[in-house]
Amino acid sequence: MKKFFLACSLLFCTLAYSNPVETGHARASLITNLQDSQQESFYIGVRLEMQEGWHTYWENPGDSGSPFEAKWNIDQGFIIENVEWPTPVTIPYPPLMTFGYEGDVVFPFKVFRSLDSELSSISIDFDFLICADICIPEKASLTLDLSTAIPNSLVDAAVNSLPIDFIQTQSFVEGDHLKIKFKSSQPVSKAYFFPREDNLFAYTTTQKWDRLSEDTYEIAVPILNDEVGSFSGILRINDEGFQVKEELESAPSMSLWQAILFALIGGLILNLMPCVFPVISLKVLSFVSMGGNDDSKIRNHALSFVGGVMSTFLSIAAALIIIRSTGSMIGWGYQLQSPIVVGILTLIMLGIGLILLTNINFAAGLTTLGSSVQSRNDYSGSFFTGVLAVVVASPCTAPFMGAAIGYALLQPSFATLPIFLALGLGFAGPYLLLALRPDWISALPKPGAWMETLKQFFAFPMIATALWLMWVFMVQTSGDALILLLILGLILGIAIWMIATFKGRWKWVGMLATFLAAIQMFNNLPENTSELAADSSSEQWSLTIESDLQAQDQAYLINFTAAWCITCQTNEKTAFARDKVKEYFKNQDITYVKADWTNRNEDIAIGLARYERTGIPLYIFWKPGMPGSKILPAVLTEDILIKSMQ
Amino acid sequence: MKFFITFIATCCISIASYAADIKLQNPSINIKAPNFTALDSYGNNIQLSDFIGSPVILEWTNHECPYVMRHYDENNMQSVQKMALDAGIVWLSIISSTPGDQGHVNPNKANALTSSRAASPAHVLLDESGEIGMLYGAKTTPHMYMIDANGILRYKGAIDDIGRGMQFFDASLEQAKNYVSSQMSELIANQSLAISSTTAYGCSVKYNYD
Repeated sequence: MKKFFLACSLLFCTLAYSNPVETGHARASLITNLQDSQQESFYIGVRLEMQEGWHTYWENPGDSGSPFEAKWNIDQGFIIENVEWPTPVTIPYPPLMTFGYEGDVVFPFKVFRSLDSELSSISIDFDFLICADICIPEKASLTLDLSTAIPNSLVDAAVNSLPIDFIQTQSFVEGDHLKIKFKSSQPVSKAYFFPREDNLFAYTTTQKWDRLSEDTYEIAVPILNDEVGSFSGILRINDEGFQVKEELESAPSMSLWQAILFALIGGLILNLMPCVFPVISLKVLSFVSMGGNDDSKIRNHALSFVGGVMSTFLSIAAALIIIRSTGSMIGWGYQLQSPIVVGILTLIMLGIGLILLTNINFAAGLTTLGSSVQSRNDYSGSFFTGVLAVVVASPCTAPFMGAAIGYALLQPSFATLPIFLALGLGFAGPYLLLALRPDWISALPKPGAWMETLKQFFAFPMIATALWLMWVFMVQTSGDALILLLILGLILGIAIWMIATFKGRWKWVGMLATFLAAIQMFNNLPENTSELAADSSSEQWSLTIESDLQAQDQAYLINFTAAWCITCQTNEKTAFARDKVKEYFKNQDITYVKADWTNRNEDIAIGLARYERTGIPLYIFWKPGMPGSKILPAVLTEDILIKSMQ
Repeated sequence: MKFFITFIATCCISIASYAADIKLQNPSINIKAPNFTALDSYGNNIQLSDFIGSPVILEWTNHECPYVMRHYDENNMQSVQKMALDAGIVWLSIISSTPGDQGHVNPNKANALTSSRAASPAHVLLDESGEIGMLYGAKTTPHMYMIDANGILRYKGAIDDIGRGMQFFDASLEQAKNYVSSQMSELIANQSLAISSTTAYGCSVKYNYD
């Protein structure tokens, strides 16, 4: 029987295509907005004029029903994609609820063609379920001759009203509802959320919504269980549809206390991250050399250091709050998106490295590192070491820290401060302990000549950090700008040498020279001009890439990265650059997408915010069959990466 | 009839947070299946609790629904029923269509359908008020439920993994993974099932929604 149908359709299919087609309870037709034969992309719409009382379905049909299936028959040189489904309406059959379309609906498909392809006929087998009280599967075999087709404005109207724009949401589970918070500048008179996943939500006739403030609203969608990890769908506000996609942070969403705990642990771990470790180690050395000193001195130094750390974290928090209040999307490490900051940091690192190799003792400021024994009463030295430690920590994200900061930045300001405070406390924790129990310092090794050797050795991680920052600087600007920076490094070197070698006035000549050179260079610094070259093995990221790839049933991995993010760079080397991983991507047909945040990019910040993140690294993976994309671990090796994709 | 709807609506309003919705219940897996009483096509009064000691399979059906029709036309549903019969499982086919709607049948028609389709349910239950359907949250025809010999609900959902979508009408029923037949032995062993909850697909159950 089945075979017979197949043979039949093979024989007669070319004859059976026409336009329009009466399918039984609807009239189906193919229409286009193609204006002239030179257009490379245009739309074709499948128009369904359903009889009164009949309806067909959205991609998630609700409690029953089925979305349509379209099989295109196209010539070479053509690509057709279903951009997005039109915004559905609710079609209630209490106690059941379905989502779909009634009356006259146009499903637009985007067509791309190479200009050397001929404009000829395009045809489609369109299978759909049409229902009133009862359901009937119907079928239309449609064809459209593009060389003679007349543009139909219904196609443009359908395309323009497609729900393409994303609306930013913030959701949390409360009891048996998911509360979705969103902003709308238009006053809302009705709202309904159409979930795309079919096993997370109960479909009710209405969804209760509230106005929380001037432009903030909250809609409650009943859930089937509280294991909502990620969800997506269309939020219909008044008569307009918006895309929603959100990943709930470890459902149920993190509490403030959890975030504070994560921040504390994250801060503590931050001490061990590669960008901080050398600076911190020097501080530890200075404490070692204080062994045998009286306790109050040790305590005061430790407290000054803690003070430096805390005030810097609070300044960053304050800056974040202020910048956020202007509506900008920012995140951890954003400081390094400015080449000027990176340039200054490079010079600081280089300077510290050089000073460590010489025997200079700067009496004040940043440079009292490690050798502040003589200046016993100079607590400002300890304070500024604290400041410096936080500043150089900014390119590093510790485990737990990303989630906590992500939480902090999406919360109202009063919750941001305690989290940054906790981060600072965690970071300064060991020193705070030292301030409380100065006698514990005797547990550290005895001071001796080894300290001088170790101090000199630490010059090299500092210079290595400077090299890495130079590379970041070059990626952000250009090779020419890098040369300027290197010349400045040279002048700095000369200045330090002068200060170390000469006495009196010459010292100041050296400092002045460095200062003037720095001003000169930063005046000439080019703006962020570099076009970040996409590397050939990866796709360019865009705000809609996830929904596009999911629509094509294409597995993908998105790598949110930046040159200044050292954890990201480590992961590149230990995981993504490995042959085994590349091979796995190839064999499993996983599209590798890179979102490069080296320079400021509002879209990427929005993309991160969808995962409640404001910092990187962030790795997103999805393959067909998964209900939603998942976040991979922040620290990767090839084994961890491959395992987490299986 | 009116009384019944009012009764159910009142029940539901007290449970559901949103009034005006007549809400389907959503029974939980691995706990006791809700008990019910119904008339079968021979006029017998049937209670779910009567069958404690044997596993029970519930099948929501509507003989005019294209999804159900395909499962019966290709002898797919009958072969699962036969398997259940041989394994000592009680099969209850339930029709929740409201009078006048698609799939509603009188007892004689129900029996005629059973014999003409060579089906082998233990009973065909006539649930024209939709009471049992709503108690179990039956949304589509077919919609399947498996209950073990201790009366514990072990499965709710689709009959197989073809899923919603127009591919149903082209897909092979034989090659599909049948969630009911493939998990019968675990059901008989009173075990929790590997796949215990899926999204049912098909026509909507024709409840009285006016």
